[in-house]
Amino acid sequence: MSGAADREAVFPTRQSLGIMKAKLKGAETGHSLLKRKKITRRIDEAKRKMGRVMQIAAFSLAEVSYAVGGDIGYQVQESAKSARFRIRTKQDNVSGVLLPAFESYLTEGNNDFGLTGLGKGGQQVQRCRETYARAVEALVELASLQTAFVILDEVIKVVNRRVNAIEHVIIPRTENTIKYINSELDELDREEFYRLKKVANKKQRDNAAADAEMKARREAMEKNESGASKQDSGPADILAAEDDDDVIF
Amino acid sequence: MEGLLFNVNNGYVEGIVRGYRNSLLTTPAYSNLTQCETIDDLKLQLGPAYGDFLASLPPNPSTSALASKTTDKLISEFRYVRANATGSLAKFMDYVTYGYMIDNVALLITGTLHERDTRELLERCHPLGWFETMPVLCVATNVEELYNSVLIETPLAPYFKGSLSHQDLDELNIEIVRNTLYKNYLEDFHNFVNTHSDMAGTPTAEVMSNILEFEADRRAINITLNSFGTELTKADRNKLYPTFGKLYPEGTLMLSRADDVEGVRLAVDGVHDYKTFFDAVSLGGSSGPGNMGGGSADGKSLEDMFYQKEMEISKDAFTRQFTYAIIYAWVKLREQEIRNITWIAECIAQNQKDRIGNFISVF
Repeated sequence: MSGAADREAVFPTRQSLGIMKAKLKGAETGHSLLKRKKITRRIDEAKRKMGRVMQIAAFSLAEVSYAVGGDIGYQVQESAKSARFRIRTKQDNVSGVLLPAFESYLTEGNNDFGLTGLGKGGQQVQRCRETYARAVEALVELASLQTAFVILDEVIKVVNRRVNAIEHVIIPRTENTIKYINSELDELDREEFYRLKKVANKKQRDNAAADAEMKARREAMEKNESGASKQDSGPADILAAEDDDDVIF
Repeated sequence: MEGLLFNVNNGYVEGIVRGYRNSLLTTPAYSNLTQCETIDDLKLQLGPAYGDFLASLPPNPSTSALASKTTDKLISEFRYVRANATGSLAKFMDYVTYGYMIDNVALLITGTLHERDTRELLERCHPLGWFETMPVLCVATNVEELYNSVLIETPLAPYFKGSLSHQDLDELNIEIVRNTLYKNYLEDFHNFVNTHSDMAGTPTAEVMSNILEFEADRRAINITLNSFGTELTKADRNKLYPTFGKLYPEGTLMLSRADDVEGVRLAVDGVHDYKTFFDAVSLGGSSGPGNMGGGSADGKSLEDMFYQKEMEISKDAFTRQFTYAIIYAWVKLREQEIRNITWIAECIAQNQKDRIGNFISVF
């Protein structure tokens, strides 16, 4: 197992197992917190919204060309003198980072090409303009998100590094450590069990031996006792002869 | 009586135009078009009607390219008819082109006012409104020169003279200039068909008066509706109303005083057709007339109904014999057809099939 090497240098004890488990839990919580890519999700939403709005806007332009029956682009370009749709910027403070936020607003009473399509199609032109104003609004929103994103990019990179570190190093390492500790502890358990068994076996054997010895001794004692009583009747002449034969050198 | 000698000069042209009318797309053809999945399919379906003109388009052309190619066909047919027309018919056809000419001149005026290179604008001009001396207008560098050139070089001089000075071109909004010209043009056209010795008292005068009166009323109503909320004053607005038509004089007077859509409704109450349009629009539950985009997909806008009416009038023109009006009607029908094709193409290109049926087909 390749991960076997990638673990923390701890002694496989129950205490360190408890510490590791707490560490893993902390890493997982932190990871899910950091991984919540809030801005990217909002950019995604804004882009989708922009797609929808632009589609509607393009279609309303098609309506204009249907109603007017020609190209009005040039007239509109030339009669527009000043911007009706403007933006202003302000600064937002997001966790210590200053972000510019764009805010759109319409200038009142600015209707440069209000008369375009006076003869026919005027309403479509005005509606198309409103639709495009909405499209531009979506663009502005997207722009401020994108700017925020670029500025937060550095921060996000650090955060991402942290997320990646947690995801790819800390969590597996902690898990490996826990696995290692568990296996070591199991091993110890097994060893302990085997040792106990061995001890028990040995004790049993010793007991048996002791029992046997005792038994033998007891038998011998009993035998001695009965031998002493039998000596008179049994073949005691050998012993008697021994007593007799004194060899002196 | 008019039938006795009409064909001597104009029989061929009438025959040709009736032939063109027969080649207009019919409702079954449109329903085929709406089934198309891509622009290429659409191009294929248009093959029988527009074959040669669409052949040079690249695969999956843009809708504007499609529109310009279909317009090319109208132009070439119109030019052919114009080349074969003589006498009062030729004059009549010139009158048809004046409307487009006004748009072109207005475009050039805009360009000159903003000191753009007006030569680039020549490409944007409507080919029907093209006249030989138009490039001369591009030489003008300021509005006064342009004004003089327009007076000298174009048939539009009578429309400028008397109602617009060169200062006006500078000061007035170009839309007001355009609509003033258009008003003068409509009045002149109306006068022309009713007083010219070849046309007065013939079906031409009758049918054309009907068409032009409708056009005049439509412009008057549209101008009124579109001027709400703009800097156009009521007095100025009144000057833009053509002085004929079913609404003239009481209706236009009321229109000039109208402050809102309700005022317009009251003004047109006397004319049955327009009254029905307004009733239909308000029944449609839309917020205001001309509500084509808003939200209602099936509700027809006032603009749609005007187009519908125009097409019906144009179609009816073909029921008459010995009249020049069929040429005007044919041009209008073809323009509507081009708009329809462009609309269908847009709907296909933008994947907005639910609105694809919003075209007008009368055959």
